[in-house]
Amino acid sequence: MNVRVHETEVLIIGAGATGSGIMRDLALRGIHCLLIDRRDLNAGASGGNHGLLHSGGRYATADAETAAECRREGEILKRLAPECIDDCGGLFVAVEGDDPDFAARFPEHCRVAGIPCEALTPAEAREREPALPETVFAAYTVPDATIDPFRIVLENVGQAQQANGSRYLPHTGVEGFDIEDGEIVRTRCRDHRCGDPVEIRARQVVNASGAWAEKVARLAGCTDVTLLCSKGTLLISNARVTNGVVNRLRPPDDGDILVPGGTVSLLGTSSVTVEDPDDIRPTIAEVDRILAEGAAMLPILNETRFVRAFSGVRPLLRAPGSESDGRKANRGFALFDHEDQGLTNFVTVAGGKFTTFRLMAEKAGDLVARRLGNSEPCKTALVPLPSGDALRWTDPGAAARDWYRRADPTDMILCECEMVARSAVDTILAEAPGAEDHMSLRAIALRSRIGKGACQGAFCALRVMAHLYDRGVYDGPDGLRQARDFVEGRFRGVRPVLWGAQMPQAELAEILHCGLAGMDLAAAEDEGRTG
Amino acid sequence: MKRRSRRIDTDLAVIGTGIAGFAASLFACRRGLEVAQFGHSGAMAYTTGYLDLLGVQDGRVLDDPWDGLGALRRETPEHPLARLPDETIRTAFGLFTEALTEMGLGYTAPGERNLRALLPNGLVKSTLSVPQTMLPGCEALAQRARTLVLDFDGLQGFSARAFEANLAERWPGLSSARLTFPGMEDRQVFPEVMARALETRQTREALVDLIRPQLDGAEYVGLPAILGMQAPDRIRTEMEAALGATLFEIPTIPPAVPGIRLREGFERTMPERGVTLDPVLKVSRVRFGAAGATLTLHGAMEDIEVEARAVLLATGRFLSGGLRADRTQVSETLLGLPIRQTESRNDWYRKDYFDPAGHPVNRLGIEVDASFRPVDAAGDPVQDTLFSAGAILAHQDWVRQRCGAGLAIASAYAAVDSAAAHLTPEGQPPDRSVRSDR
Amino acid sequence: MGAHSRDRTVDFLAVAREILPPGANYDSCVGCGICASGCPASGLFGMDPRRFINMATLGMNEELATTPWVWACTQCKRCAYLCPMGIDVSQLVGVARGLWPEEEKPKGIVRSCAAQRMDESTSAMGVRSKDFVEIVEETAEELREADPRFADLKVPIDKKGAKFVLNQNSREPAVEPEEMGPLWKILDYVGADWTYASKGWAAENFCMFTGDTEAWREMVETRVSAINDLDCEVWINTECGHSFYTLWQGIERFGLEANFEADTLVTYYAQWIREGKLPVNSDWNVNNIKFTVQDPCQMVRKSLGDQAADDLRFVVKTLVGEENFIDMQPCRSANYCCGGGGGFLQAGMNDARRAYGKRKFDQIAATEATYVLTPCHNCHSQIEDIGEHYQGGYHVTHLWTLICLSLGILGPDERKYLGPELADLNLPDEA
Repeated sequence: MNVRVHETEVLIIGAGATGSGIMRDLALRGIHCLLIDRRDLNAGASGGNHGLLHSGGRYATADAETAAECRREGEILKRLAPECIDDCGGLFVAVEGDDPDFAARFPEHCRVAGIPCEALTPAEAREREPALPETVFAAYTVPDATIDPFRIVLENVGQAQQANGSRYLPHTGVEGFDIEDGEIVRTRCRDHRCGDPVEIRARQVVNASGAWAEKVARLAGCTDVTLLCSKGTLLISNARVTNGVVNRLRPPDDGDILVPGGTVSLLGTSSVTVEDPDDIRPTIAEVDRILAEGAAMLPILNETRFVRAFSGVRPLLRAPGSESDGRKANRGFALFDHEDQGLTNFVTVAGGKFTTFRLMAEKAGDLVARRLGNSEPCKTALVPLPSGDALRWTDPGAAARDWYRRADPTDMILCECEMVARSAVDTILAEAPGAEDHMSLRAIALRSRIGKGACQGAFCALRVMAHLYDRGVYDGPDGLRQARDFVEGRFRGVRPVLWGAQMPQAELAEILHCGLAGMDLAAAEDEGRTG
Repeated sequence: MKRRSRRIDTDLAVIGTGIAGFAASLFACRRGLEVAQFGHSGAMAYTTGYLDLLGVQDGRVLDDPWDGLGALRRETPEHPLARLPDETIRTAFGLFTEALTEMGLGYTAPGERNLRALLPNGLVKSTLSVPQTMLPGCEALAQRARTLVLDFDGLQGFSARAFEANLAERWPGLSSARLTFPGMEDRQVFPEVMARALETRQTREALVDLIRPQLDGAEYVGLPAILGMQAPDRIRTEMEAALGATLFEIPTIPPAVPGIRLREGFERTMPERGVTLDPVLKVSRVRFGAAGATLTLHGAMEDIEVEARAVLLATGRFLSGGLRADRTQVSETLLGLPIRQTESRNDWYRKDYFDPAGHPVNRLGIEVDASFRPVDAAGDPVQDTLFSAGAILAHQDWVRQRCGAGLAIASAYAAVDSAAAHLTPEGQPPDRSVRSDR
Repeated sequence: MGAHSRDRTVDFLAVAREILPPGANYDSCVGCGICASGCPASGLFGMDPRRFINMATLGMNEELATTPWVWACTQCKRCAYLCPMGIDVSQLVGVARGLWPEEEKPKGIVRSCAAQRMDESTSAMGVRSKDFVEIVEETAEELREADPRFADLKVPIDKKGAKFVLNQNSREPAVEPEEMGPLWKILDYVGADWTYASKGWAAENFCMFTGDTEAWREMVETRVSAINDLDCEVWINTECGHSFYTLWQGIERFGLEANFEADTLVTYYAQWIREGKLPVNSDWNVNNIKFTVQDPCQMVRKSLGDQAADDLRFVVKTLVGEENFIDMQPCRSANYCCGGGGGFLQAGMNDARRAYGKRKFDQIAATEATYVLTPCHNCHSQIEDIGEHYQGGYHVTHLWTLICLSLGILGPDERKYLGPELADLNLPDEA
């Protein structure tokens, strides 16, 4: 078995917002990086959140410092990556039964944190958000916005690749570090797709593996990183429910925020402390609790068609008293230089929030650049993010609008729900980050809206698979297996929202997947072969 | 303006226009009963065209469905198919495929063993009866004959290359090519539209001319299912003669032709058999009385009341609207029939989608007695004049077990038998055979 | 990411929730595409019914409010017929049409509606009430003179208390008055107690097609009031599809009071044949000329259902002989729209309209029939046009022509739509 060897200046472990942000930060300073992830982009918390670009309002009451940081970083992102952001604004609303005193204190907390906040009458609030109920008694506007967490990460990687040929390798997981004289000399990895060993030699190693950062640090013998893993679950509706973000004006709890995600809305978020960040999935109990809470604020949610739920694990820095409730943990971040652990070329960055990923990357970048003797300043707050042809398909509705505008009848639509055309898939195949390697159905879906509409892969999985055979991506049974894996993966999120309009959809999906495509029997056959 | 109203008197009201509903009407006509049938036949269009009896038992693919039925009777005696003797199932299935053939949609007669029929991705399915247009595909596969599989520019979700790639190792004589359908350049093409176009001689000739140069010695040519809508067998024969090779069809992802053929075939021929049919009108209310039931329906311009001496419910599951699920329970939509629930929604689906055990929610449905009458919690018939058939029945998982058609046809047969016995207690009316109706 | 806010035009998804029944609004779509596959407008302007639904779900309200496809969709409701959930796209197409600025709507439709609103005749071809009365009287006089058997033929106008009140498509009085003759002869033959109304008589309503609901209401109000005034039992809609739908649907939708029943001429043809009042047969068809029939969507699928289709077939089979009748497939309530409906014929989008009509053409070609019969003026014109365009070589004929042919009362100048093989057949004896 061949050991593949890669050399780079900086190895970054974890391709979420932070890791990709560090890749961009360093590449803009001229430092060559290799970004790896044992799965793919945004596999952890970066892909498991509601895409809210916090105004800071959510933290204004408890943590003015984080709130102010959110506001500053939000403004930078709105300036540099407007294409990733929907500056839709937000409301904080209190409904009958909520604590009036808590609501009354809100404007003052916002003022302290420097967050623009304006009081609305209930009637004004309902005019802005017709879905709000009569029971609203207090409402404030805040400059909340939403961000497409996938697009911004694709753009981070895309810019780093362009800047100096830095590279991204998906499905490459760390298995161990070879340490000599207080330096990591080799990082031993494995290609999880084919099982081959991979060896990476880098001058500096950055651990940005989010919820897994403690595990990765321990592989390097470092015991200073201690995290609390907090699982958060969200529901996705089939269509957008509100114009802007709607927050419940009360101490954070389940189901108290509804965030538009372009063409859909995301309702969340629960917070449950978990031991292991692997193999988490949304549960029916969580979904029902979130929905019950959410419907108290927006009764329309009881009639809303939800197509999927998903969970992410927030990596929170441990703080006294945070074990039982992740919501009380510090939402700030920390940079570990690990020098007191006897290592001179290893950095871990952990904690923090999606909104502040750039700042985290800047701090990590400063440290790594200093260690490498690079004196270039951080440019990530100044250089706009790129918007390439292969980077723009995660934006909900983008593929549909693009297709409609081009009106090319020969450009067949593969995913009808989200109207993703063949040309979009071909672009992703050719040039999206990760494309130099193998691009599976799952990887294409991650870089587009395929599988994200109402059918959740009932039709598009089969259509895209057929197309990938046509394109020569597959030439054997691999394609079927990957389509099956993709569908099985979607089901984790589909299962807890199966009722109402999603039941006929699920029944049709099973008719197609099993009756027409024979995926269930192929699965059993495969297991028979390997087991 | 006064709304129109109409009253229909009938022996049997069949509610549902899927395979089970149409099978029930067919069998009831044969028994000499007057039939009125209503529903919304949309979901029938999703079939591959294959008629399964029992393709999988306990996660095992069956060559012999009759053998599988034996095992089913031992392991899940409450399964609707397990409650019927082989003879009933065989008779019902045979009558049904005969009726389809008479309708112009040639189907193979049910045999002793399952056929290995092709799927669009190159996998195979164990099924009992296939359209004559698809049968040569089974032969070509069995013989590993020199075969060319074609697809078309602009056709979503059907790739001849994928078909070939998945079979190439086992079937070296297989090749693939892509054509542009005559007159449908530079656009998305639907199988239905191609099938309609092939109803004209001109298009058939043009397509044959396109296929001919691709043949390269192939004895068989496989196409997505597009060989006409109303008379596929005639179209296939005619094109085969012109081409000098055997043609066969492969099922496609919906919207697909084989299901549309069935839908249109039934809609066309059931009225000819004397059935009062409105295939796109849902029953909004049923009231049971001493002498049967009154059904209320609302058409675009008229209100209809149907006085029926007996009712057969074949409204299907969630997709067809027979069942509905909210966050806490599954319910039957028209009559509120009792359904034995799982403990919670958490038990509806297993953790893994492709768990070979299948999902428990698929086995929820209507409980029936030996006469296929829905029963209450105590096991007593809800109404003496109410019968039920098809996928709405409990204790089966037709998708995973590949028993959809068998379940629909055999339970319809049994339910109609019981209904007829109820309506004519002193003895059966003369058996009007399917043929003598014509 | 751009603005996704839903207030730019109209929120189609929300309107769908409002106006479609629960369980059949856009939230119920399972994306199967049966609607798109079965829609002749699929592919025109890149659109189809499923895409319309999906775009509404994606909040592409501006695109839906501006796509010219809404003028290519004939609102035939075949999508709703096929959809397992019964989702009706045509109603939202009507909403979208209404959002177009008047000056950008297809001129032919707008002009026709404007013409209808100019005179109480409600004629889209600008035939005023007094002109109509004159034309009818003149034509009747000519007919009485031409055929002694009809020397006493009466064409009553505004006869109060008649059993039937009939409407009249403007095409005949405007450009081919002689085509009114066969219908009058039939009514005379069966001894019907009937009348025209001098107001609101026109059997077309392009106002419904403009998407301007108020204009539609105005048309229906004018007509209903004129019919109410005559105190007739039954309003009979002539051989025309949409004028039937637009009236009864308008009455329901706008909650109007109407003192009459609405029915179609085809229903009465069938009834009169069954009653022996119209002793037609197929004896004249000695050469076994083949006929097929086009079911007008507005009359069959959208209104009376298969009962109307059954009546139509009964009439046609009696006229041409069972063995000479070949149905198109699909047919009856499942029939394809020909592409002449919804104002498409008047919209000036000829390429798109003919592309739409290709399916109808293939259906007709598959029957290999020489004649297409249809009791609808828009179907008639469209099927004629696509027949010429795709070189079908068939003829399109009204039912009244064939009824009179069979009865031996079809005059030589009433044979405009017959082919050479029928030009001289069964001529009335020269007086």
